[in-house]
Formats: sequence, C-alpha cells, structure tokens
Amino acid sequence: MRAKKIAALALAGVMLISTVLAGCGKETSSGSENNSGNKSAGERKKITALIRGSETSTTYIVLKKLLTKFSEEKGLEPPEFELVSGDADYVTKLQLYINSNALPDIYGCANGALSKAAKDIDSIVNIGDELERIGKKEDMNKAVYDFFKDADDGNVYLFPESLNCEFFLYRKDIFKKYNLETPKTWNEFLELCKTLKDKGEIPLIVAGKENWQLMRYLSFAPWRMTKDQFILDYIGQKEKFQTNTAAKSGAELLYTLGTEGYFQGGFLSTDYTAATDLFFGGTGCMWYSGSGQITQASEMYANGELGFFPVPDVDGEEDMDTNTPIHGGFGTAFNVQTYDDTMKEFFQYMCENYSEACYNDAKVFSPFNDPMPEGLDPMFYDLQPLFEKATDAWVSWDDKLDSATLTNLVDEQQKLAQGKETPEEFEAAADQFIINNSK
Amino acid sequence: MQNSFGRKKVILMFLLPAFIIYTLFVVVSVIWAGYYSLFDWSGVGDKTFLGIRNYVHLFTKDTIFWSTAAHTLVYTIICILIQVFGGLVFAIFLTRITRFRAGLQTLYYVPVVISSVAICQIFTKLLSVTPIGVINAVLSIFNPDLAFMEWISNDALSLPVAAFVEGYKYLGLYMVIFYAALIGVPKELEEAAIVDGANVVQQYLHVKIPYIRPVIVANCVLVLNGSLRSFDISYLLTKGGPGNSSELMSTYMYKQAFTSMKYGYGSAVAMAIVAICLIVGLVFRKITERGDEE
Repeated sequence: MRAKKIAALALAGVMLISTVLAGCGKETSSGSENNSGNKSAGERKKITALIRGSETSTTYIVLKKLLTKFSEEKGLEPPEFELVSGDADYVTKLQLYINSNALPDIYGCANGALSKAAKDIDSIVNIGDELERIGKKEDMNKAVYDFFKDADDGNVYLFPESLNCEFFLYRKDIFKKYNLETPKTWNEFLELCKTLKDKGEIPLIVAGKENWQLMRYLSFAPWRMTKDQFILDYIGQKEKFQTNTAAKSGAELLYTLGTEGYFQGGFLSTDYTAATDLFFGGTGCMWYSGSGQITQASEMYANGELGFFPVPDVDGEEDMDTNTPIHGGFGTAFNVQTYDDTMKEFFQYMCENYSEACYNDAKVFSPFNDPMPEGLDPMFYDLQPLFEKATDAWVSWDDKLDSATLTNLVDEQQKLAQGKETPEEFEAAADQFIINNSK
Repeated sequence: MQNSFGRKKVILMFLLPAFIIYTLFVVVSVIWAGYYSLFDWSGVGDKTFLGIRNYVHLFTKDTIFWSTAAHTLVYTIICILIQVFGGLVFAIFLTRITRFRAGLQTLYYVPVVISSVAICQIFTKLLSVTPIGVINAVLSIFNPDLAFMEWISNDALSLPVAAFVEGYKYLGLYMVIFYAALIGVPKELEEAAIVDGANVVQQYLHVKIPYIRPVIVANCVLVLNGSLRSFDISYLLTKGGPGNSSELMSTYMYKQAFTSMKYGYGSAVAMAIVAICLIVGLVFRKITERGDEE
C-alpha cells in the first residue's frame, strides 16, 4: 500500500515537472526566445501576426498573401496568424501581449493609447524611418501618412492597412425623381433631408449601434474647420464643446438629424451590416459610406442608381480644402524586438507588393500612389480624384480620445441623437467627461 | 457503506476537487479583483496605488453605477416573474395535458439550448423597425402607428425588452424543474384534497404549490443569482443603451474595465457586484428561512 502511494506520488511529481519543463521549453511561434522575448539571431523559423479582424479583413487578405509568398521564398515555415474579431477582445489580447512583453512580429494597433504603450516598452518599429530606408516614403499617399502621425513626436509607427476614403453615397434615381441636387453645405444637406422626408422617403441610413457612425456626424464640422485642433485642445482641456463653434455645430447637426427623423426608424439598434443591407437593398436615400463598400455598391453604381458626394462645408465658416475623409484604417505595427534582417527584408517586399495585393486581392485602394491596374470596378477610377491631391487626413476621435472619455461620449451621443438631451446638455456633459477622466 | 462515508478522508476526497476548483476560479479571482481595485491601471504600463479611492468614487460620485444597480433590480424582478412564475404556470399547464406533452416540453426547452447570440439576433430581427419586423407588422394590423414602435432603441423599453428576452431564454429550464417537482407530489395528497371538495385551482393553491415550495425557493435563488450577474443578453441586444438606459451592473463593469480601459475601477465595480450579490442572497435566504420556520 505504502509502495503504491510512493509510486503514485512519484508519477505525479514526474508529470508536474515535465509539464513545467515543457512550458519553459516551449518554442514560440516565431522561433526560440530568450527570457526577454528577443529572438536569437539566425533562429527565425516563421513570422507571426496578430490581426484585428476576420479572414475577410483587408489586413489579413493582404498579409496572408504577402507573408505566405515571402515565407516560401525564404524557406520559412508558413506564417502564423492569430485573428481576433471583437474590438474589446482584440485590445485585451494586445494588452496581454504588451504586458507580458510577448508581442508577435506583426500586430494590429490603433494610433493612440495602444501605440503609445507599445512605444513605451520599445516594441514598435518607426515605420517612417523604414519607409525612408527603402525609398518608399514619398510614394505613400500624404494624407494616409499624416493619419498615422504620432501626437507626441510626429513620427509614424504604424503601417496603413489601405487607403480608405469616406463619402456619402446617394440614390441618383431618387434624387432625379424629385429633381434634387447634391448638397455643398450642411444647411443644404439638412434642407435636402427635409425635402426627402416630406416626400415620404427615408433621407439617411446610419448604423447607430456602431460607435463611430454617429461620432462621424459629431466630428465632421470640427474636422472641416479645425482638422485636429479642436479635438487635441479638448483633450488638453484648452478648448470646450460649450465654447467652440465647430464642436457646437457638430452637436447641433447630430441632434437635428436624429430628432427631425432624418435617420431611419430604430437607427440606434442598426449595426453596420444591417445598415449596409438596408441601403443596398433599396431603403434610404443617402448613406455615409466608404471605399470599403465598393464591391457592394458596384452593381447599383454600374446601373446609374448610385452617386457619391464628399463631406459638405460648414456654412459661413472657413473650411479646409480636403473634404473627403481619408485614413489608413487600423494600423499595422512591427515589433522592434523581433525586427531582424528577415523582417527588414519582408518590410521591403511588402511595400513593393502591397498595391498589387490591395487592388487584386482585397479590392481596396492602396496607401501607395502606385498606378491602379486596369480592369478594376469603375468606382475605383471615379473615386480616385476625390483624394488624389488630399494632404490632410481624417481625424478619428476614437483614436485620439482616451478610452474612458470615448465610452462616455458614445453613450452621450446616443442620448443626443435621440433627443433625450439638448445639444447644450450634451456639450456640458462632454466637457465634464474630459475633466473627470483626466484625474 | 455508512462507515466508509463517515470517514473524514473519504469525505475530504469527495469535497476536495470541487473545493480546489472553486477556490482557484472564484475565491482567487475575487481576491485578485479586490487587489486590482486598489489601483489606477489602464491595462498596460504601471499601476498607481489609489487605496480605497476607487470605492469612494464608486459609492459617492458615480451616479451611473447606482442607476445600473436599479436597472439590475428591475431586470431581476422581471426575470423572476417570467422564469419562476412563468415557468410554474407552464409546468402546471404541462401537468394538465396528456397529448403532445413531450413535444411541447421540448419546444419550450429549445431556447435554453440556443446560444444567446442567436436568440438576440432573432429578437433584433423580430423587433426591427426598419425594415419592419414581424412584431411591429402584426401590431400595425391593430394600430398602424405601432409599425414604427421602437423596442430595442427606446430608452424606456430597452431594459424590459432585454429582461423579457432573458426570461424567454431560460423559462423552459425552470419549467422542466417545476414539472418534475409537480409530478412528484404524492397522489394521496391530491386525492385527499378532492375528497375534501377542493377544485383544481384549490388543489394547486393549497396542496401542490405549498408542497413544492422548497423548489420554488431554490429556483428563485437560481434566477436571482443569474439575473444579478446577467451580462450576455443585455450586452448583445442593446449594448446597455441607448445611453445607459439598459445598462446592468455587469455590463457597466465590463465597459469600465475593457472598453474604458480602467481596470482598477472596473475591478472596484466587480467587487461591489460581489458584495451586492452576497447581501441580496443572504437577505433572500433569511426571508425564506423565516417562512420555513413559520
């Protein structure tokens, strides 16, 4: 009996030790690591990537193709991808990797708190320097490059997933039916909405369940009038919603659109997919969309049912020239601690082949000013003049604001759009959020 | 057999695995959350020790937290009404029929095994305004204005609607438990009641329901526990909105920790939820114990 007990204990001990040893000796996906997470030179076996999104996301499609091809050419094992779809889940995952100093070779990262955290632990490559090293910096669209400039030091640490331009899609057939023109200013836009509503149409489709969709209407006027000045001053508590003309215009616009019934009924429960289905299914006259929807819009556009127009001007104010929001989507970062010669080679390979993968595989605009291939959807060629000369990028409030203030504003903008609070109440609440969250 | 079960080692052997797992996954997590709640931490970088300042803010300045506590209470009451009383009514109904009983029982139980994501998607479509969902389409037959009735995006209705969906999902589970309890009521009691001249309603009110009272109490505790920490339905259906109108304590905790990246404060909210659940559970137990003594 006693011998049995000893044998069982010994067996359990062996199992425990082997488990611990197995854990210690586990090779990471991209090769063996030392204690600090650095890979020893010459031991790279594969390239790893953590991507926010699904298998249909642009970054995955492009990187999958380029990494696979590169790995084959270099005799590496196939690349390893980790895909996380939900935004909150992705952030949690990334935080985990940052905290444990175990970031993969390539990872998705927003320009803001996360890129700052990665910078703080010296885990993010200066993409601007790398683009300069390989002579591709001048080839990148200026507005997209500008979009990823770090607020603290002006460097660029993130590589754009694509060039995204945003615009209003409108139903040409409905506009023609009522003899309507596309609006140049926000007042014209509101008049247009009123006319359409009076005719019994749904003027505007919005995915109110998505934080960013309503926030666009809140930030259009501040962007056209101040680019990023208002939002940066708001964050620095030098400017207030209650006193800034541009910010007040934004709040007023969202309030009017929501309370006058210009959005579709139940807009706060409509997610992006449902909004897409609604608009391309024939409901609504206008929809704030972007180049990511070209595939869905293709057929209606070809039939002459769809047109597009840029973001209107703010009446009576000095607006900046760029009127098409351009951004690089969710950024891609390279881990400086694993950025060895192979990764440098891959970076160059990626930049040289990125446009081809964007246009032919992901069906999106390339962040580089390379010539577009022939045979693409006609919308690609028609949209290009919108951003060809743009130098100012879109300013995403969701990237700039701290997470707590962003969450507060998201809840508050829903109340504003529903008319549960006035623009003045919203402005007062918004000004308080930044103070509370900075403590 | 009696002897072996009486031995301390054997009892320990049976209890230890559950105790270890419970300690690791519940007790340690609670202690860990309690530790984090004393810090200001964004999830990355250094933590700043705050002492009890997160709790002071939570209990004295955070009005949203108290509104979420009120929402959770309303949510729990609706869930108890639907799951416990609804489940009991459905179980009584099942005991009264002889044909299609098994089929109906299975049908009512189906939502329990469907995932919350699917249930929420179904209700989002059913309650849709644009395009008009089935519910509004049916209601508009009686009143055309009801075609534009907002359920999920209406701040006055989003909370009850979320509670209804949660109630609907788990009603079948409690129905099955009640059904099993009801068919376990001894026939002699029912026959004695009939001999005494009790009609069907009286048989249930004075004999069967009092007999299954412990089951009712147990189900109430289960629903209470489930509803107080309910997360998925509210989050998936309304995301706590519009605004904070359907925000529950658990969704608020999640938003604070994972969306606002205030892990310390989110942990303080989590600790408050633990405390509230314990207090409510203990109060409920006291009330029901008193009822037993009476």
